[in-house]
Amino acid sequence: MKVTVKSWTGVATWRWIANDDNCGICRMPFDSCCPDCKLPGDDCPLVWGACSHCFHIHCIVKWLHSQPQQQCPMCRQDWKFNNK
Amino acid sequence: MASKREELEIYWNKINYAYPILNDTLFTDCSDAEYEDIQQIIVGLGVQIKIRDLILVHTEKYFRQHVASSFWSKFIKTDEEVKGFQLFKSAVNDLYEAMASFSPMITRLTILNNSCCDNKPIYGERDVMSGIKQLLRATLLSQLPLDFQVIINHFYKVSFNVFDNAEYENSDMGEDVMCSGCWNEYSDCNCSYIVKVFHDTNRKLVELTLLERLTGQVLTNFIQQRIELHIQKLCTGTFDVSHISFLENWLDTTVMSWLTRIYCAGSSKPHRVDKDIQNAVSKFKQKLSYSLYHIYTKLRIDQLFNIIIVYPDSQPAVDDIKLCLDKTDLRATLCKKLQNALETRLLHPGVNTPDILTAYISAIRALRHLDPSGVILETVTKPVRNYLRNREDTVRSVVSSLTEEGAGSELAEELAKFAAETDDELEKEEDWDNWMPDPKDADPKVNGNDRKANDIISMLVNVYGSKELFVNEYRTLLADRLLAQSVINTEKEIRYLELLKLRFGESQLHFCEVMLKDVSDSKRINALIQQDKNFESLNNKFSSNAMILSAQFWPPFKDESLELPDEIKQHFEAYTKSYEALKGNRTLNWKPHLGNVNIEIEIGEKKLDLTVSPFNATLIMHFQTKPEWSLEELHQIMKVPLIILRRKITYWQSLGIISEKSTDNYVLVEGSDGNKSSCSTNQVQEMICEDEESESVMASAHDQREGELQVFWSYIVGMLTNLDSLPLERIHQMLKMFASQAPGTECSLQELRQFLDTKVRTHQLVLQAGMYKLPKT
Repeated sequence: MKVTVKSWTGVATWRWIANDDNCGICRMPFDSCCPDCKLPGDDCPLVWGACSHCFHIHCIVKWLHSQPQQQCPMCRQDWKFNNK
Repeated sequence: MASKREELEIYWNKINYAYPILNDTLFTDCSDAEYEDIQQIIVGLGVQIKIRDLILVHTEKYFRQHVASSFWSKFIKTDEEVKGFQLFKSAVNDLYEAMASFSPMITRLTILNNSCCDNKPIYGERDVMSGIKQLLRATLLSQLPLDFQVIINHFYKVSFNVFDNAEYENSDMGEDVMCSGCWNEYSDCNCSYIVKVFHDTNRKLVELTLLERLTGQVLTNFIQQRIELHIQKLCTGTFDVSHISFLENWLDTTVMSWLTRIYCAGSSKPHRVDKDIQNAVSKFKQKLSYSLYHIYTKLRIDQLFNIIIVYPDSQPAVDDIKLCLDKTDLRATLCKKLQNALETRLLHPGVNTPDILTAYISAIRALRHLDPSGVILETVTKPVRNYLRNREDTVRSVVSSLTEEGAGSELAEELAKFAAETDDELEKEEDWDNWMPDPKDADPKVNGNDRKANDIISMLVNVYGSKELFVNEYRTLLADRLLAQSVINTEKEIRYLELLKLRFGESQLHFCEVMLKDVSDSKRINALIQQDKNFESLNNKFSSNAMILSAQFWPPFKDESLELPDEIKQHFEAYTKSYEALKGNRTLNWKPHLGNVNIEIEIGEKKLDLTVSPFNATLIMHFQTKPEWSLEELHQIMKVPLIILRRKITYWQSLGIISEKSTDNYVLVEGSDGNKSSCSTNQVQEMICEDEESESVMASAHDQREGELQVFWSYIVGMLTNLDSLPLERIHQMLKMFASQAPGTECSLQELRQFLDTKVRTHQLVLQAGMYKLPKT
């Protein structure tokens, strides 16, 4: 007997490679989206700071706009986007 | 003195001569001229009042002893209609003749009465004639026999038959030998005789003013019977024609003209002059048309269940009921009867849920048409709603019929209709001119507008009282559909989703939107990854695709383990690498048991083209390397529980590719063995089989709920560590107090008990004398 696979459709779920499950600002899972967004993933990406903490981009931007100093809300270090 | 006495004797004889009634006879030769003399004598004597009263007393006696008894003696109880007809006729004739023989006496009495000048009414009447008639009537009715109606009934039945027949004469001039009017052979049909006698008798009765009193009741009963018969003949089985105007017409023409003829002795038009007759006839008509509506509505109410089932076709019947319901007092009967019918015919375990739903939907439609205020609908369908709430598959049935396409999915049409209708709603609200108060049986606590606003889908959704359940069920069904189909009609799904969004609101269906976007995104990512250089070499062997899902937005999957063949695993790893390269900082978690595989199996000459689940594909691929496997070995290599393995391997057994050699030992049915099987002709056979499994890959609602309750577990453990042991009610209260922010917190006492019981079963809790405790470690 010979079995030939012609096509294989698999099912997978995607997730962010991050050191936490939830966004520290909105407390939503990273794999979900921030409260202002409707669609997860490309439309609501994560960003990492130089301090290695990461957030939904919309969350951290909103945070930085509302603060006099640009600090990471988790560790109070100066916030710098880590473009890795 | 003696001469005076003799004189008086002569006078008395003369008076007796003029009024033979004083000797209880009627016959006299007294002429008008002679009577004038006698009248003078009476006046001369001044005894006119005494004589008149004496005559009246004797007349009464005569009526009682002769006329009445001979009239009633004809009323013998008989079953023969024709005999009854004859008897009644002769009785009336005799009575009429008897009255006629009184007429000379009455003329004389009138003259006598006029000379009395005391204005005393005679039996309550002004003139002698009507007084005597009144007397006759009173005497007759005082001796009314028990069964007098039988004879009268026969009489009218026979004549109505003839009459009814005359109306339709043209239509049934068939080859009948019998005249359908009088049931005689045509050769000696005596319809015309009957009609003549009938009119004659009625005329006499009218003249004697006995018609109404004697025959009124019989006539009413009789006509009602005829109406009932006629309606039953006309209206059984057909709901697609409106009968009411036809019936009204029938009443107006056939019945009423017959009735008018009875009253007017033969002519079909009432004399314009005679107010009494007109009044009597129109009163009769009111009575009859009420009973017509009543009978018709009752009949229709008995058929209402069937009418509802075929509803849009039976609209004329519903219209009829609607019209009649205003004219009769049958609302309560309708509700009760229909409710009973629904309960006996619908609400039992023998009926499928989709059938109940179909009936419920057409009931909503039909009853809404019948009673726009929605009160009847609410009352009648209450048991249906209660019953549907107890059926497990209600939600699933509703949701799947919402999204089904093609005939029979009325809900899908309804959904599309709703989208079109939403714009007009606002205008309708301000329609003051057509405002109607709620019917009297409406529940005053419910706002009338709410009742009216509910359309079919919201009525179905309201069976449960929450949209959430429906949306969740839809999500699960959608997930199943998306994963099961290899080719997904995204456009169609999006269209339905848009329709559902109009109904359930954007926020509720947001998850489904993401799911659909995942599907279309996956297509794009697949296309991108296929172009990847690293992946290309692998893909030469077979094409691999992936559905990449946003886990947070899909309903939870059933957790099943499956170890894929290395070859496939490599493929997926490469795919993951490409994905990671494509989307920075993101990776994939594979669900190996989900998806579908297209494989081709060659056994000897035979070729099979199959679409199977990954499990079945893996299994058969293992048999490719080694033709014989024990269940244990398969379990080792595939990491699938034995029970599931044993169950799923039957798929290949049913195809005749694998057979069970001995218990739990499976062997491949190879070439020569395969030739023995039924489909082993030498021709190459292409078989396309679908994987038979169609069970949901999603976790059931029950499992999902269990997962939600799991949130409480940490609270409960904390509670019990601190307070040692607690009863159920306390735990429930404390949870309400402390854990009310957690998602899915509406946890009833019962649910909590079930949840704790499962924990007791898995030895994570101990139940002692109604108190829950943590087990001692």
